[in-house]
Amino acid sequence: MNCTQARRLFGACWDDETTQVERELLESHFASCARCRSAYDEFSRALELAASLPRVEPAPDLVERMLARVRRLSPAPDRVPGIRLGWVPVSVAAAALVIAGILVAQWVGLKPAPPSGPPQWAKQPVTEPKLVGGPAEKPAVPRAPGPRPGAGSEVAGIPDSLFDHSEDIEFILDPVTLRGGRVERPPLKQPGIQGEQAVITF
Amino acid sequence: MVNQVSPDRDPSAPAIVSLSDEDLMARVAEDDERAFAELVRRFQGRVINLVSRVLNDRECSDDLAQEVFVRVFVHRRNYRRGSKFSTWLFTIAANLAKNEIRRRVRRRNWFSLDALQELLKDSAIQLADPTESRESVLEREQLQAAVGLAIATVPEKYRLALVLRDIEGLPYEEIALVLNIPGGTVRSRINRARSMLKRKLQPLLRKAGAP
Repeated sequence: MNCTQARRLFGACWDDETTQVERELLESHFASCARCRSAYDEFSRALELAASLPRVEPAPDLVERMLARVRRLSPAPDRVPGIRLGWVPVSVAAAALVIAGILVAQWVGLKPAPPSGPPQWAKQPVTEPKLVGGPAEKPAVPRAPGPRPGAGSEVAGIPDSLFDHSEDIEFILDPVTLRGGRVERPPLKQPGIQGEQAVITF
Repeated sequence: MVNQVSPDRDPSAPAIVSLSDEDLMARVAEDDERAFAELVRRFQGRVINLVSRVLNDRECSDDLAQEVFVRVFVHRRNYRRGSKFSTWLFTIAANLAKNEIRRRVRRRNWFSLDALQELLKDSAIQLADPTESRESVLEREQLQAAVGLAIATVPEKYRLALVLRDIEGLPYEEIALVLNIPGGTVRSRINRARSMLKRKLQPLLRKAGAP
């Protein structure tokens, strides 16, 4: 064993990981090489010193301080009686149940009779909301589209609304322009529409 | 939220102190505060010693150790059951220590000798023998300060491996897991670190006429 090979084994020798053969070779090398013997002594002395450094003791209250920090990380328990967030989902669920009940009740009320004859609402002609001026004079104001003419027979049996519009009065909002902070209303009274113009401001 | 009163609700449950580290950690994952306190008690000394030797700063090591345990708690649900708790803990500690070293190096005053000497004055010197003479106490303190300084000046990646191996006594395999490097790299780093330490301490060893 030469010096380089011997010095490569210093670490393994310190960790007691050398084989019996390696150890014997190293010992025999040390017997003949004072420099390597001295180098190994310094090596082991340095590691002994490092290992024998006094243990750094933790502060006595470290555990308590740690627990205090960890508790701050967790949400504090709610101590105000009666304002528990746990009730919020229950309230929401109850409200949803009530709304669902109302909707079901409405749906059941409009449910068609057994399929022995045409449904009650199909017997009554569905009338569109009428303008005072009559159907001949269509207003220029856009309106919600009714059933398409071609769709007739298929769509006729299906109401487009749950509400009866037969007696509705159609309100037409006049366009209003603001100029210099003043309201300008162009005379937009549609031909065929009777009634007073009204301006609704928001 | 932490369960402040638990886990011994079940009288047949084993006492906290008799549980393994891994079982305690499993309880911590279920927000058991007593299990967490027991883990802190078991490992606080080793964690503080590790960061203190790596940073050579007693004051900072308390804060850093606290940070290590806070991370354990915050990431308690990320702990993989079946893996060794101490490996996971030392990985967190080593990473935080590395971050701290880099932060100090960026500040550029970390390796000033004056600052180190000032820090060394505060390092926990244990006066084991009250009959020891004042001179020998001073001599021993100086020696320990020099060794602490020598370790602190070993480059970071070698220093961590050195402290984990030669101060904390971790096996090579565990150091490889903690530092997330292959086993062969661990061995070569530790060998390098030991050679560096020996070189740094050589004048002292010769002066002291060490055997």
